[in-house]
Amino acid sequence: MATLDLQTITKSFGSASVLTGIDLAIRDKEFVVFVGPSGCGKSTLLRIIAGLEAATTGRILIEGVDVSMAAPVDRGIAMVFQSYALYPHLSVYENIAFPLRVAKLPEAEVKAKVGRAADILQLNDKLGLKPGQLSGGQRQRVAIGRSIVRNPKVFLFDEPLSNLDAALRGEMRVELSALQRQLDATMVYVTHDQIEAMTMAHRIVVLNKGRIEQFGTPMELYHHPATKFVATFIGQPNMNLIPATVVDTGAEGLTVDLPGGTRMTLPVDASAARKGDAVEVGIRPENLTLGQGVSMRLRVLERLGGTAIAYGQMEDGLKLCAALHGDAAVHEGEAVGLTFASADAHVFDATGQVMRRQQAPARAA
Amino acid sequence: MIDRLSLLQKLGVYAATFVFLLFLLMPFIEMLRVSLRPMSHLMTADFTWWSEDFSLQAYRDMWVTVPLLGRYIFNSIFIAVSVTAITMVVVIPAAYAYARLEFPFKALSLGGFLAVNMFTGAVLLIPLYRVLRSLGMLNTYWAMIVPGVAFLIPTGIWLLRSYLEKIPRELEEAAFVDGASRLYTLRRVVIPLAVPGLIVVGTAVFIGAYAQQFLFAITFNNVREIQPLPAGLFEFIGYQDTTWNEMMAAALTGVLPVMLLFLFLQKYLVAGLTAGAVKE
Ligand SMILES: Nc1ncnc2c1ncn2[C@@H]1O[C@H](COP(=O)(O)OP(=O)(O)OP(=O)(O)O)[C@@H](O)[C@H]1O
Ligand SMILES: [Mg+2]
Repeated sequence: MATLDLQTITKSFGSASVLTGIDLAIRDKEFVVFVGPSGCGKSTLLRIIAGLEAATTGRILIEGVDVSMAAPVDRGIAMVFQSYALYPHLSVYENIAFPLRVAKLPEAEVKAKVGRAADILQLNDKLGLKPGQLSGGQRQRVAIGRSIVRNPKVFLFDEPLSNLDAALRGEMRVELSALQRQLDATMVYVTHDQIEAMTMAHRIVVLNKGRIEQFGTPMELYHHPATKFVATFIGQPNMNLIPATVVDTGAEGLTVDLPGGTRMTLPVDASAARKGDAVEVGIRPENLTLGQGVSMRLRVLERLGGTAIAYGQMEDGLKLCAALHGDAAVHEGEAVGLTFASADAHVFDATGQVMRRQQAPARAA
Repeated sequence: MIDRLSLLQKLGVYAATFVFLLFLLMPFIEMLRVSLRPMSHLMTADFTWWSEDFSLQAYRDMWVTVPLLGRYIFNSIFIAVSVTAITMVVVIPAAYAYARLEFPFKALSLGGFLAVNMFTGAVLLIPLYRVLRSLGMLNTYWAMIVPGVAFLIPTGIWLLRSYLEKIPRELEEAAFVDGASRLYTLRRVVIPLAVPGLIVVGTAVFIGAYAQQFLFAITFNNVREIQPLPAGLFEFIGYQDTTWNEMMAAALTGVLPVMLLFLFLQKYLVAGLTAGAVKE
């Protein structure tokens, strides 16, 4: 049972506070992804879990045991670095065997374990080469190989795919997901690529400025973003935010006036809202359709085949983006009316907190 | 890089290189000329590149004039190699510590090393003499090795530290996560990757050790058997006259093994001095 618990972790470098009050309970065999913009503290948090960096305050528990003071090797973790961190002077075999050599295992055992790792990662015919003779994807696999030979309880990955090209990245994504199932291990994975996060994670931690914005399954984050930050961070293209004014609140939702005069009643928990409040209505591009609602001038149309992404501006300059049907009969330069189902709307108050949606798909377990 | 120089430009480049090299090598050429001519002709004839009377006689006679010559050459190399070896043993861990660890007075002590280098050995000869006398090291090999090591450690640390800083930190962190100790990482990861840098530093230290030994030898040692070549060359200066040609022949012979070594190390030196300049 390799659970990983973080309890009120904080981290400051001198006077700069990088992480504030991180609380996280990761389950056994869970694939958890940390996402967030550059500089939000993802790597720092991972390095604290690894034991490469000491937390300023807080505790780390692996399998319920406090390891806050333990050396990395005693924590039962293995880490894969963004730059692979392969030893250029050692062969692939010796690179993978490195942790075993440190542990002074007998040669026969080393051979068996390296062989098994090479089998899993399809590196059998590359064992004699030096890292410099491998392709990017193969180097990545060697780095993973080095992490699996010790049978760690928790795997830590810091942006392992960011040095690869797009096609290879897609391939490695699938391989890593498969590997996680094969090894039955707990994995913590850092990325700033939301596609990696959405496709690989069981649960996603969205970090912003050293705080956890939200921790949940990918679809939960998609349908029920807790804050405006999460709403705009998850989903491609980004969610549109339209300023609106509250005109009425009631049991069936929040009635707002949109720019251009359209009045809509949105089915969200409006208990905290007051008449006259300024709110923002969030609507995903894929939920916008042609019709009478808000109007925008279409500036660029990208026809991708199945869908056509329309970028335009409302009268007051606000930018909108809509994912329309691929054959939608619209043209660049003309005015386009857009509408959306009230159940698809997200509403954020002035502090960026969401008003809970009442009709969206239920939270997954 | 594409060679875009015209013939005239190329000629210019070669001419300039030739003049520069001539300037650098003139002392050696003069040494060689002197060593090849008989004593009686040395002071008379005008300068010529080549003359009829060239012979290798001095290279034979020098072993007779100074019977301990072979010993001196050996001592020179022995002292320089010892100084280099001891210096490297001290410099490697020290430079690693300066490159990677945080400790109090780090910048200050580094600056201190540089300051020590500003004193030439000559300024410190008298105090050093007293120190070596109280340690009972006068007139031993140690008298020429210990001060040499002491003066070369700062240079070595400065040179090697900047090389070690270029080795990616993640490599060491990866080893650390896998349970390797600092020393294990130094031995298995850092030193193998630093080989070109070590050769550069080792060479610089060796040259320094070779150049310094004269001063220490004539001040701290008067035992003939352990004298290095630069001090031993004095024996060619007799009461009546100085056998210049044999002295030059001996000097060239003494430098020869070192030159051969450098020729062999040359490719590492060039690689080491530019390593890390271009992202690979
Ligand atoms: N050793 C350090 N000393 C001082 N500040 C640091 C140190 N390491 C990280 N920081 C700061 O901590 C913040 C978070 O850094 P971190 O590397 O964790 O970001 P990140 O989320 O991994 O970003 P990226 O996506 O760019 O890798 C940054 O503002 C960075 O400047
Ligand atoms: Mg990072």
